[in-house]
Amino acid sequence: MTPLSLIAEITHRCPLHCVYCSNPLEMQVRELELSTATWAQTFQAAGELGVLQLHLTGGEPLARTDLAELVAAGRKAGLYVNLITSGIGLSPERLQALTGAGLDHIQLSFQDSQEDEANLIAGTRAHALKIELSRRIKEHRVAFTVNMVVHRRNLERLEEMIALAEELQADRLEIAHVQYYGWALKNREALLPTRAQWERSLAIITAARERLSGRMRIDFVGPDYYAKYPKACMGGWGRSVILIDPAGRALPCHAAGTIPGLEFDNVQARSLRWIWEDSPAFRKFRGEDWMPEPCRSCDRRTQDFGGCRCQAMLLTGDATATDPVCTLAPRHDIVEAVIGQVDSTPHDGNWVYRIDPVSMVERT
Amino acid sequence: MSDLSGASRPKLCPGCRLREPAGESDMLLIPEGALRLAGPGRKIVERCDGQHTLDDIVRELKAEYPTAEPSRIETEVNTFLERLHQKRVIDLES
Repeated sequence: MTPLSLIAEITHRCPLHCVYCSNPLEMQVRELELSTATWAQTFQAAGELGVLQLHLTGGEPLARTDLAELVAAGRKAGLYVNLITSGIGLSPERLQALTGAGLDHIQLSFQDSQEDEANLIAGTRAHALKIELSRRIKEHRVAFTVNMVVHRRNLERLEEMIALAEELQADRLEIAHVQYYGWALKNREALLPTRAQWERSLAIITAARERLSGRMRIDFVGPDYYAKYPKACMGGWGRSVILIDPAGRALPCHAAGTIPGLEFDNVQARSLRWIWEDSPAFRKFRGEDWMPEPCRSCDRRTQDFGGCRCQAMLLTGDATATDPVCTLAPRHDIVEAVIGQVDSTPHDGNWVYRIDPVSMVERT
Repeated sequence: MSDLSGASRPKLCPGCRLREPAGESDMLLIPEGALRLAGPGRKIVERCDGQHTLDDIVRELKAEYPTAEPSRIETEVNTFLERLHQKRVIDLES
């Protein structure tokens, strides 16, 4: 089995405070971040394992002053290098340095098509800067993706968001519904769309894809809660993705830290190959031996691998349960109850904003 | 943005490139993915440089594969490039 992607969370520091951030609630502080050299060795090891794509993400990856060196190290290891960024801190000079180092793809996240709402979600003023930055990115030969995170509060403006991506001349538009882990789970009742909203969004995407074929590729990720069957989370546990956190811990997915009893080996102590092939965390839910019924005898088990282990943990308290978003899951009632409440509960306006990792110095 | 015709000059989009060095399994790396190139795939992609027209590519492929059925080469190159265009892997310059 060969991993295809390495997600490198090179820092958890971020100037934004998005209410649906996918970082864990317990973040790694700056003092523990891996050095440039250790990241470079890790990328080399990933290339040797067969990894094709390197995703540099965070936090905000631009918070690392050595980002261009990391891009160059990724290219040297034979990887396709993608940067996932809010754009904050991306000066013309840094953009030049990054593309000069061989950056293949920039994914710029937007919180909305409307400035006020975007700034509300991000907990900071970033929207206008992103628009200006998009124009600058188009002056470079690099693939440009606009990433829109959608939810109950902005889904009504989906057509506007598509128009904005067109205007910014994105090569690719990624529209991703919020998924409910970490910070987003804390804000779930305010963010989960209604079924009517969800169905309308599907129709809009289908029409836009047709219209924009050959001009702008549109990738779309629906909310798990409205799916009939679960997603193949991370392409299956330990099947195609390795995530490395700022301190060097290797995880099978973003939220794996929420599963009790798992220990994550560190690239500073173990080889990436050993971690991938033999470490207990990566073997834990690989294959089918761990599966309960109805997954074990289900025809879809080779397509969705039983869904998401972290979601099973968060919603049922049991990481080995069938993902409750599956309509065949014994505990699908949990998801139905949440959806049932969406229409009847207005949001009280209290958001939980993602905080920045607190440094050990400040803590004492 | 034009449709594919004999005079189109396909060009790889930014962020789409062949994996180097060329190996047993050739890969075309694209945003969020990779396409495995089989058969003449690599030879076609190498000619997507904004200089070759579709007609040029077909003619050169016919010369590379003299024993293959010429009409089949034409159809295959067309289908392949049409697919890459839909995926936004190539732009068509006129």
